[in-house]
Amino acid sequence: MINTILKVMAVLFTGFFVGLTLEGVARKVIARIQRRYGPPWYQNFIDLFKTFSKHGITHGWIFDFGVLMALGGTIATLAFVPLGNLIAFPGLDNVFIILYLWAIGALGMAMGMVGSGNPNASIGVARALTQMMGYEVPYLVVLAGVMFYYKTSSVSALMYSQADKWTLLKMPIGGIIAFVSLMGMLGKKPFDTPIAPAEIASGPMVELSAKYMGFLMLMHTFSIFVEISMFVNIFLGISNYFTFLIKFTIVWILATMISAVLPRFRIEQVVKFYWKVPLSLAFVQVLFVLLGWVF
Amino acid sequence: MISITNLILVFLFGSLISYLLTKTNKVLGSIFNFLISSYALFYVWNVNVGKTEKLFNVFGDIESSLKVTYLGKFFAIVSFLVLAFVSFFIIDWIRSNSKNSAAFNAFYLLMAGGSLGVFFANDLITLYIFWEIAVLGSFLIIPMGNKDSKKAAINYAVMSAIGSYMYLFATFSIFNRYGVISFDRVINKLSNESSTSYIWFIILFISSAGIVKSGIFPLHTWLRKAYGSSPDAFTAAFSGQLSKLGSYVLAISFAVFPTMKLFPQFYHGIPTLNYLLIWLGNISIILGTFMAIRQNDMKQLIAYSSIANGGYILIGLASLDSIGFAGGLFHVFNHAIISVMVFLSFALVILRTGTSKIDEMGGLIWRMPMTFVTYLVGIISLAGIPPTSGFISKWMIFNTLVRKGMFITAAIAFIGSVGSFLYVFRPLAGVFLGQLKKKHYNLKEGSFIMLLPMLLMVALTVLLGVYPKPILDLIVSVETELGIKPLEHSGIIIKTPLGSWNTLTVFIMFAVGFIIALVLYLLFPKAKKVELTNQYTGAEFLYNYDLYHYATGFYRFIERLYDKHPSFEKLYEMVSTFFKSMGDFITGLVYKTGPSGYVFWISIIILIIYWVRW
Repeated sequence: MINTILKVMAVLFTGFFVGLTLEGVARKVIARIQRRYGPPWYQNFIDLFKTFSKHGITHGWIFDFGVLMALGGTIATLAFVPLGNLIAFPGLDNVFIILYLWAIGALGMAMGMVGSGNPNASIGVARALTQMMGYEVPYLVVLAGVMFYYKTSSVSALMYSQADKWTLLKMPIGGIIAFVSLMGMLGKKPFDTPIAPAEIASGPMVELSAKYMGFLMLMHTFSIFVEISMFVNIFLGISNYFTFLIKFTIVWILATMISAVLPRFRIEQVVKFYWKVPLSLAFVQVLFVLLGWVF
Repeated sequence: MISITNLILVFLFGSLISYLLTKTNKVLGSIFNFLISSYALFYVWNVNVGKTEKLFNVFGDIESSLKVTYLGKFFAIVSFLVLAFVSFFIIDWIRSNSKNSAAFNAFYLLMAGGSLGVFFANDLITLYIFWEIAVLGSFLIIPMGNKDSKKAAINYAVMSAIGSYMYLFATFSIFNRYGVISFDRVINKLSNESSTSYIWFIILFISSAGIVKSGIFPLHTWLRKAYGSSPDAFTAAFSGQLSKLGSYVLAISFAVFPTMKLFPQFYHGIPTLNYLLIWLGNISIILGTFMAIRQNDMKQLIAYSSIANGGYILIGLASLDSIGFAGGLFHVFNHAIISVMVFLSFALVILRTGTSKIDEMGGLIWRMPMTFVTYLVGIISLAGIPPTSGFISKWMIFNTLVRKGMFITAAIAFIGSVGSFLYVFRPLAGVFLGQLKKKHYNLKEGSFIMLLPMLLMVALTVLLGVYPKPILDLIVSVETELGIKPLEHSGIIIKTPLGSWNTLTVFIMFAVGFIIALVLYLLFPKAKKVELTNQYTGAEFLYNYDLYHYATGFYRFIERLYDKHPSFEKLYEMVSTFFKSMGDFITGLVYKTGPSGYVFWISIIILIIYWVRW
């Protein structure tokens, strides 16, 4: 019991400190790609504490409740994610649990933001849900192939089954598709349509101020942690806590660098892209798995 | 305890009493309905499995009988849970129902009695008779809805007739061939049947009744119209209870008739016929999901969602896997209570606003918060998000699909699942959230009597999401009875070969996450409450905030991609237009408007008679 609580706390604090730090680093990386100097690596901590210290505005109870549900759901999801060998709930870290528990946070955010009554937020949410339909399907098909191959749906068990070789090398097509889907999940360019600052005034975030903004920044940080951790655990071999963080950083920086040089898709282009290329490749990958062509 | 036969008679005669009571006092008649339905719920919960009753003789020596099985008991419990709750809602709702309240209440009981008979029928004929009683009851209620409802009722009756006549045809064929109709004897005879095509014909025709009722492609088109235009409170019972008759017949044709032995196994232990029907389920999921995303009428939107969920139930049941079958049965239960939550909250919204078009509403959360909460929990369960019970059934179905390596079906199930986030959000954003319309400023929340069943359902779905043992126990006994390897569970932990999960831990973790967020929320400076009209508008001056509500064409950007989709509804319309014009042609030929036409035909007939010399 105590052990579990300590592990959950360890996971959450890792998510908080490493997540915020890496977001700061990402800003620095993008700045360097664009030949700017960029903010310091701890800029996101400053932003977060600043938002928490301000008096903001609210649009009523559903706005507040949505924000709470968003952060609460994401914290709950993060607790189930194994970080290398730091596993808070061994055996219960089911792939579907993590994906669907994450959805409750997303639903909370969507509900609260649409509850603000601003159409920009509604458009952003409608786009975000549509984008979700785009990336989630190829991703889940690839994961279904991986789960079928290793005969387990527990994330930590999937990680420990890669003793001989990484899943990324065993199923290269699947690994690449999962990474492309991960870009969509993270909302990185070219898949940042739901936010699209220039078109719809940052979409869901349009009415946020003060601690509400802070809450969603935290939620975003935790979500990133959940999404990339899933990828690292399932595709990038067995890792302990520290090698896990190294792999995590590499994946995050890679995603940031790719996103820094790309323009934005329109929303229907996102869905079309995901369902044309990654989805058909995902079916090729699971066909390989069924035929036993796993390297 | 009275016998089942007497209970069915109570329902049938009760419908007469209910008619007279409602004639004198609407509320009194509805209370009577509620009392009978809840007694039936109590009865089916406590009824002993294995109890057999003789009913009547149809064909001399063939005896009709009723028998309580675990499968029937499970479906009966789900049914009367729905019927009892909906009839409680109707007690207050009926007061606003201007016409035909007496007939409404009478047919409600008729339908309930019919479905009770269906679930406990021990032979094919008894099942058919009670099936038709249930269909009749619902068919007569549908025209009491809005202006399109008469057409919808005819559509429903025709589609329903296709299914039930196919079923009847198979039944007669069986009787003709073997001279038996009770389930165990028919199964015995079928197991020794040498002709494969005959087995195919029987099971396909029997299951077609279930396919129609649960709205599976290609016989799904009645659902949109019937759900969309039947009386609002009744739609909840329609979707929650009546379409589950279809799932029951599907369960019978897959599991009671041992398809596992009758058919060769095709792919990872799935019989050929089941695999074929799983494909119909797949098409239903795709069709239901994408069409639901397009709808602007909230009742039709959830009607399409019912088609998709019918697909999930079909896939679960047809897999005949210990976890998949359990998932299918659990989804029957989940979809039943979700339908109650969603359609009752819609009934309340329509009662207050007088419209079911999503873009004519907005911001109702500020006037009807409890209705909103019911809808919200309903859709969380519908989208299959923990900690509600909706997740458990979806997880079981996904688990089976992944384990059996059915990747295309799995991909379609994933599309349906993520697509359900899209379509359930459309009424949430359009009806309940956003800007409140000026004309809706003085709306009132529903009364306590209407809200009570809705909120109890909310409590039930969350409770069973955290502690699913009661339902899982029922499912395990059903699976044991049907000879499927029973699901392994220990109340809160569901064990599968693909890993397990603990419902309670997930719930506690979510609660902990929420509390952390709440503490942070209370810790930091309080925010100022501003009006909904106080918005970032991009420096635009706004005078009409009704227009500042994004609901029309919510997913237009994605709908555009499949605007030119093929439609079976149109195909059926073409067929019906063809028959109509044929009929017009014959009418024009035979029934001339002038007397000359009649003289012509009469002289022709007289000539023919002379010619053949009668």
